Amino acid sequence: MTFPSATLLAQSALSGIFIGGLYGLLGLGLGLTWGLLHVINLAHFGFAFLAAYLCYQLASVHGVDPLATLVLLVPVFFVAGVAVQLLLERFRISPLNSLLASFGLTAIIEAGIQAVWTADFRKLESSYAGYKLQIGALYVPFPEVLTLFLATLLSFSIWAVMRYTDAGRAMRALAQDPEMAAAYGINRAAHAVLLSGVCGALAAVAGVCLALGFTLTPSQIYAWVGVVFAAVMLGGLGSALGPLAAGLIIGISEALTMAFASPSWAPIVSFTLLIVLLVLRPARA
Amino acid sequence: MLDVRELSVDYGAAPALSSVSMSIAAGELVCVLGPNGAGKTTLVNTLAGLRHARAGSIAMDGRDITHLPPHRFCAAGIAVVPECRRLFTGLTVRENLEIGSYLPDARRHRAASLEHVCTLFPVLRERLQSPAGVLSGGQQQMVAIARALMARPRLLLLDEPSLGLSPMLVEVLFGAIREIHAGGTAVLVIEQNVTMALDVSSRAYLLDEGRIVAQGTPAAIAADPELRRTYLGMAAPSAST
Amino acid sequence: MKPDRVYAALAAAGAALATVPFLGLPAFYESFLYLVFHWIVLATSWNILSGYSGYFSFGHGAFFGAGVYTTAVLAGKYDVPFAYTLAPAAIIPALLGIGVGAVVFRVRGVRGELFALLTLAVTFVLATIVLNTPVDGGPGVYLSAVPVPRLAPTPSGSFYVMALALAFVTVVIARAIERSRLGLGLFAIHDDEDAAEVMGVPTYRYKLLALGLSAGLAGIAGGIQALFVSYVTANSTFNITVPLTVVLMSVLGGSRHWAGPAIGAIAITVLLYFSTAADQAVAGKAVVGAILVVAVLIMPRGLLGHWQRRRVAANGHARPAAAEVTRDDAFVQARDGNTRNCVLSLRAVEKSFSGVRALAGIDLDVSEGEILGVLGPNGSGKSTLINVVTGHYRADRGNIAFEGHDITCWPAHRIARAGIARTYQIPRPFPHLPVRDNVALTAIFGNAAQRTAAARACAQQWLDFTRLGARAEAMPGELNLHQTKFLELARALAARPRLVFLDEVLSGLTPGEIDEAVDLIRRIRDSGTTVVFVEHVMRAVMAVSDRIVVLDQGRVIAQGNAAEVMARDDVAAAYLGGAHARRA
Repeated sequence: MTFPSATLLAQSALSGIFIGGLYGLLGLGLGLTWGLLHVINLAHFGFAFLAAYLCYQLASVHGVDPLATLVLLVPVFFVAGVAVQLLLERFRISPLNSLLASFGLTAIIEAGIQAVWTADFRKLESSYAGYKLQIGALYVPFPEVLTLFLATLLSFSIWAVMRYTDAGRAMRALAQDPEMAAAYGINRAAHAVLLSGVCGALAAVAGVCLALGFTLTPSQIYAWVGVVFAAVMLGGLGSALGPLAAGLIIGISEALTMAFASPSWAPIVSFTLLIVLLVLRPARA
Repeated sequence: MLDVRELSVDYGAAPALSSVSMSIAAGELVCVLGPNGAGKTTLVNTLAGLRHARAGSIAMDGRDITHLPPHRFCAAGIAVVPECRRLFTGLTVRENLEIGSYLPDARRHRAASLEHVCTLFPVLRERLQSPAGVLSGGQQQMVAIARALMARPRLLLLDEPSLGLSPMLVEVLFGAIREIHAGGTAVLVIEQNVTMALDVSSRAYLLDEGRIVAQGTPAAIAADPELRRTYLGMAAPSAST
Repeated sequence: MKPDRVYAALAAAGAALATVPFLGLPAFYESFLYLVFHWIVLATSWNILSGYSGYFSFGHGAFFGAGVYTTAVLAGKYDVPFAYTLAPAAIIPALLGIGVGAVVFRVRGVRGELFALLTLAVTFVLATIVLNTPVDGGPGVYLSAVPVPRLAPTPSGSFYVMALALAFVTVVIARAIERSRLGLGLFAIHDDEDAAEVMGVPTYRYKLLALGLSAGLAGIAGGIQALFVSYVTANSTFNITVPLTVVLMSVLGGSRHWAGPAIGAIAITVLLYFSTAADQAVAGKAVVGAILVVAVLIMPRGLLGHWQRRRVAANGHARPAAAEVTRDDAFVQARDGNTRNCVLSLRAVEKSFSGVRALAGIDLDVSEGEILGVLGPNGSGKSTLINVVTGHYRADRGNIAFEGHDITCWPAHRIARAGIARTYQIPRPFPHLPVRDNVALTAIFGNAAQRTAAARACAQQWLDFTRLGARAEAMPGELNLHQTKFLELARALAARPRLVFLDEVLSGLTPGEIDEAVDLIRRIRDSGTTVVFVEHVMRAVMAVSDRIVVLDQGRVIAQGNAAEVMARDDVAAAYLGGAHARRA
């Protein structure tokens, strides 16, 4: 094992930051529903991948600009999130059961994706992939900058809404004591549905970022589960900025592991981190 | 203003309230007394919309609100300060007060209401940015009452406000309750401390095992042998001791 | 069905099925049934931990995979005869499971969904290690050169026989556990682990045992599967299919029942066969997912769970009354004769919470055989008193002595074993155990430490004592408030305590029910247990107490005869507040 050069390390760290941004973006929606609604929604990953495939389809086959697909995908997945929560409202469901049910939903989505697009690898070839910024000796691909930018923008926006608006405060109060929140006029069901829709929209954005930067195949859905859960638990359930910060930390540690050892060892970092976190800091929402 | 008829509420399978009828006029201060398990908290919770009535009706200004969903009771003009306060401990004091004025009508007057409650409870002014969970019991009680006032209610429900507080704080609290009442808000107080409750109210109800067993002016209730019987389980001694 | 009849039926079925390979059927049937048995083993073994105790694991794939690779490496790379690889294929996953459990079960917060996530993470870590080390290294492991043991005319028949044998063993083990102390303890852990712990269930040990068994059985299934597929790769072994499918099969069939996972396994395997036969493997996955969603939302107790509930509701039969609990005459005489020992004494006991003094110096003596009422307004410290004496909280200062022992610093379960029992103000029975098992639990794990069958008979006795005998098979959710409180009483008494604390058992009861309860309290004392009860219902207190004690602001302000004490001014003042007392 030769010690990597400074440039290689810096490049690795940089790519770690970018992947961390995506972890944070995926973790944002997941953490919000877990922390505020006490629903563990594995289907968040299914939605993100579905959005990624739809973006790929619209861009590769119909020639739509990948970023423009957001205009269509965000509202569609907002509605999807609303629909899922409306369904859940009819059943009083524990967090564990929501994990199981969303597990099932993800399997359905995965099967659907495989039925339409097969298990072949799909890569979105866009002009964006070609743009590269250069900072000194380091290369910064555009899709990844975009992902980090979106992740940061959305995380801070949601943080601001949670902190400074009545709707955000209402959500936080609902998470703490839904009965008392209702006693002061806050409609729990309406807020839950709204939040779920927002998280669906966040999944759509993450999906487009996925499509821009990664090769897609259905089985890859589960590859992200462990690392994003680690980011959410490290960052704190229901937190807007936590998953982003945690994602960055995890991304950098993974990237450095890959620089020092072989890439196929990378999953061990996030999953081991998740295990350690779960044992040392079991965060019950 | 508030008209309760034949209200019956169950706690699980057992009846907690049976055919309770009472009324509160606008601007009145009424207290509900009774031993533990009499159903006082169930009564308050039902009036606040936190519990479902099995039978009977609750009307505010002639409008039947019995079967409204929980989040619509506040809009009807009722704000509750529950037993054990139930503040949103993860939020700051200021945010708790802002939640109190969540509804549109209250929100419009938020700044004025905030000023009003800070004058009523001066200690809150310095503690607006503190997380509600770190305040002392007495301060939390003030925040809970302030939160309810931010909703600009016509009827304020107070469930055992003196619970766990020192006698001095209790005096302060009841002073504030008198001021709130003087401002024109109707108040329903549930209290274990019979003396203090009778001192501030204009009318009292005595609840025992889910039923109203006596009602009237404070003097009448104080002299009523029912009072001693429900609390102490026996008739009053014939000679005064 | 009686227990021996179930085992006999299983044995008969097993024997009948064992003849199949010798019937000369096409290999397809043997392979299909192999698959069914394979999933029965995986689902049932998963259920032993996750269904019974509620610790839902998403990591069954790790143990299965560990078994697969143990056999693959030993047989495929080191030419160990296949039969000898099966023991390691059981032991290595079992050790892995126990290792994970030893760390994780110590942490109180890791339950439910967190445990599920953690076990999923373990699977991926193991997969990465296998893929990147010489265990697999990337290309996979071939077992095509490994000879298959000749247990039947054809190789597929031999696999069939092995899988059948393993399925039989697994199902028998699952059934045996369900009827045993281990099973009872696991079900109690499922419903309320903290309460089970306080009652004396060795939760840590039981969970480890269940996890080890579960992992070991899955490992053997993996070992057989390795030879069956004859070429194993990390991706095909450690993917999401195994964890997802076993959860689905058990949830669908009913995870609280020993046969539930087997039923679910048969149903799903048949269903998946039809979809793959129709060349719709992808649709099969969608169907599996859809069934999981529907099952979790609509039928959380699974097929068998629903069937069981309907059966119990229909059979509301009365049980013959067991022998009456004997009256302890010596005990009663000792009380009457005034030769009273002091069984519990508190000296200067204090307890504060966040600056609030709940107990401000309690001095109290409880005499053997008396019925002592504890009264006082809200916030006077009555509940804290019970909690401190029974070990739920530790006193800040002062001494508590019980029958000569200083129990001030003892943990809750030790105090329970020493002979002090309590009821809870809000009854907390284990909601998924029938009434009789709720009571039997205390008898098995508490002071009395009986064997399961004897404990159940004893439980029936106590249920009859509290007039609940006819409801022994019902679920706690079907009882009304009055009956639930009596169930709490029966549970407390089944531990044969010397002293029992009753915490507001009468609140919410009708006058008739109160009279019954008062009679029961007397009978409890007459059978040899001292009773201390906290109560607000004055009528009952007056009727049954030998002596009462009044608390106010964390101190004892009066004690003695009930009528005299309640006539005192200071007591009236405590209840009614200051000046009022003088008005009467």
